[in-house]
Amino acid sequence: MKKQYALAIFLGAVLIVAFAAIAGSGRTASDLPAPPAIGTVIDDFTLPGADGASHSLASLKGKNGTVIIFIATKCPVSNGYNDRMEKVFEDYKAKGFNVIGINSNSTEPAAEVKSHAAEKGLKFTILKDDGNKIADRLGANRTPEVYVLDAKGKLAYHGRIDNSQKLETITSNDLREALDELGAGKAVTKAGGAAFGCNIKRVS
Amino acid sequence: MRFHLSIPIAGVLTLGLVCAAVLAQQKTSIARAPITPIIVNGHPVDGVDITDYGSDVREINLDGLKKILQRDGNDKRPLLLNFWATWCDPCREEFPDLVKLDGDYKDKGLNFIAISLDDITDIKSEVPKFLNQMKATMPVVLLNVNDPEPAIKVVDATWDGQLPATFLYDHEGKVVFKHFGKIKPDELRAAIDKEIKK
Repeated sequence: MKKQYALAIFLGAVLIVAFAAIAGSGRTASDLPAPPAIGTVIDDFTLPGADGASHSLASLKGKNGTVIIFIATKCPVSNGYNDRMEKVFEDYKAKGFNVIGINSNSTEPAAEVKSHAAEKGLKFTILKDDGNKIADRLGANRTPEVYVLDAKGKLAYHGRIDNSQKLETITSNDLREALDELGAGKAVTKAGGAAFGCNIKRVS
Repeated sequence: MRFHLSIPIAGVLTLGLVCAAVLAQQKTSIARAPITPIIVNGHPVDGVDITDYGSDVREINLDGLKKILQRDGNDKRPLLLNFWATWCDPCREEFPDLVKLDGDYKDKGLNFIAISLDDITDIKSEVPKFLNQMKATMPVVLLNVNDPEPAIKVVDATWDGQLPATFLYDHEGKVVFKHFGKIKPDELRAAIDKEIKK
């Protein structure tokens, strides 16, 4: 008798969980992980690359710093920045900065990330963040979203690439200015900025 | 004689699965009603900050957005803002729920404005096309700003610009509910109900 009651209670609990899972697919503000504060050391992590090989953050660091950009294959805002991201990669390589792309979208598989990069001419290393673990760790919510680590691996900038989706109305090249300051050994004056973007498609 | 619980357990499970299937398939069919004007502080929002392109969607700039957010003591209605774009898939997916919500709360004292972040070149094409498909009834404006940051910050200090984003303000202009990503309709409705009762 007791066993059957326990089973009934267990099945009832399963039903409740099933309801909750079906009914909910978004996140309230309190669900989202908070990003690390400027100055926080970002711990090493390893993710598979779109190229199939595994890469650690440590192996991808630039001498003067590392630029991590959360990107997407399908988001028009992120795609609108493809050329600019590639240009930052090319312009700042010689200045000791490396650019890494991270795709955390559960809706965009690795094969798609790889073909998208080839098609769009993105030559920087792109990592696939299955289960959005690194997006969670860094509190990333949208694409594109930028994190810059300094030479010591501390977060020095967190925000946007620039202040305008359209090239002709850019008045503030926030990411480049931050990189130039870091490269000159100065503190970053403007450590971030908000911009519209597609939300990262997290696993529920 | 042993009493077998397996039959009622199977019954509850089946009931649960049927309910879940119904929940997952909610469809809306609202007849297209005329677009309501945007009323702020008892006056239609108009003037230099809003450019009318003759379609149902009007353009606003940062000042227009600030006007929408301004509350005066007399308008006790809560204000619901949903930020979306035709290029944002979850925004498109949640839209039918928002249309349904607008229908249900229009006469219950909710001020609901949907704010599109589409490109200004789509204000007469893609945006009204989508709204017609959705049979949208709420007023929609398109926010056109050069720098997104001041607009994002004036809406809510914790918002980083991700879309979709939904904010509910009380009559004092305080954010009493916010949600990033697709809305959970029940959660949003509960928050609105709470404000309307005040």
